[in-house]
Amino acid sequence: MYGDPERPRNAVQSSRSPGRHDHTPTHDQTYRLSDTKPAADDEATVAETGTTVVGLTTDDAVVLAADRRASLGGRFVTSKEVRKVEQVHPTAAVAFSGSVGHIQGFVRTLRTEATLYEDRRGHPMSVSALSTLAGNLLRTNPLRVTPVLGGVDDEGARLFGMDQGGGVLGDEYAAAGSGTQLAYGVLERRYDPDAAVESARETAAAAVATASERDTASGDGLTLATVTDQGVATDVVADPAEVAA
Amino acid sequence: MNGTDRQAYDRGTTVFSPDGRLYQVEYAREAVARGAPTVGVTAADGVVLAALVEDRSPLVDRREAAKLSGVEGTFGLATAGHAADARQLVDLARRTAAGERRRYGEPIDTPALSRALADHVQEDTQRGGTRPYGAALLVAGVDDRPTLIEVDPSGATETWVADAVGRGAVDAVAHLEEAYEPELTTGDALSIAIDALGAAADEVDPTDVEAATVDADGYATLSADRIATAS
Repeated sequence: MYGDPERPRNAVQSSRSPGRHDHTPTHDQTYRLSDTKPAADDEATVAETGTTVVGLTTDDAVVLAADRRASLGGRFVTSKEVRKVEQVHPTAAVAFSGSVGHIQGFVRTLRTEATLYEDRRGHPMSVSALSTLAGNLLRTNPLRVTPVLGGVDDEGARLFGMDQGGGVLGDEYAAAGSGTQLAYGVLERRYDPDAAVESARETAAAAVATASERDTASGDGLTLATVTDQGVATDVVADPAEVAA
Repeated sequence: MNGTDRQAYDRGTTVFSPDGRLYQVEYAREAVARGAPTVGVTAADGVVLAALVEDRSPLVDRREAAKLSGVEGTFGLATAGHAADARQLVDLARRTAAGERRRYGEPIDTPALSRALADHVQEDTQRGGTRPYGAALLVAGVDDRPTLIEVDPSGATETWVADAVGRGAVDAVAHLEEAYEPELTTGDALSIAIDALGAAADEVDPTDVEAATVDADGYATLSADRIATAS
């Protein structure tokens, strides 16, 4: 569906997105920005990384934030500088948890399809269309990715939480990853739809900071993206407490 | 060769004439030569594309570019010949660029993009049940340096510093041979391109010209004011 229509069905393995049609990891270790606890027998062989990602909307902007840790099941840190928020569209970005390889393929496909759409139509796709595209990708491919997608278009600031089955749910704020519950604790208390962008950034940072305190699979700093109709501005901060007020 | 003999080699694109010609490909080139002219000129920092648009009626709404198209915001395509055939090739270029990015995570370059188009065009000169594309393309991009490549209905590619396709292309190229200089500014390249359109067609009204630049900042169509100023 999202493959190159010119590509033969029996295309060689290297020409497809990583792990697209694979249920089973082909490597001994699959790096994950985990959203769920791995099955017991996975834990020994499948690399899991914990993650806390959050997104919240303001009147005319979306703030997306994530920690920077990748780990094996939250017990060994495999990277301390993972970027878990990526721009995929002129005025939209995705924050995600899940398998690193699946995420990389997912982001590459979203970006490519958004560019192709803009080439063909002469204007960027709406954030709603982008969320439908992302949901279709998740539903039709066994991708272990749980994204939070945010963007700004004619409709204003839009945020969508997603699941691995391709469910797409619009919301004013959302969280994903192993630190989800800790993050929601902060978001439920602090989210204010009338907040200014700076205040929303502080709330997002506070949610990641709180989750990083207690979730062993989250930590090592903060990636904080602000999406407006002007584009996506991304900051990397060593300590989320620096931003969290 | 008399008319009857010739007809036998006209039937399919895959049949050579005894003197080694593919008549259907030559007719496809003729279709290009009847299309409104299109010109490309490389400058020091980019490539300028300019095309003459001929509408059947003043009632045609011309808000969308007809003969120039962007690919990934970084390449420009200019076409001459059958518009519907050209449209297929433009979309193939977009799918090819998207496929490259999906596969490698990197943008395609101008020669590879041109070759992919040319490979597809060539297939339809060799396979049964097809006809050649009645369109030629100028592919413009900035790789290490500004690059302009022509793809013709036979599937041949050639890299030019300045080129024209479509009706009057011979006259346009003759003008370009006189006027072209290395390291042109984009403004001068635009003026030369519009003059070349003038050499190809008898009369050129600047409002009938579409133009675009491809440089390090990407593909951008030029406003009617900018075109009128350069004319």
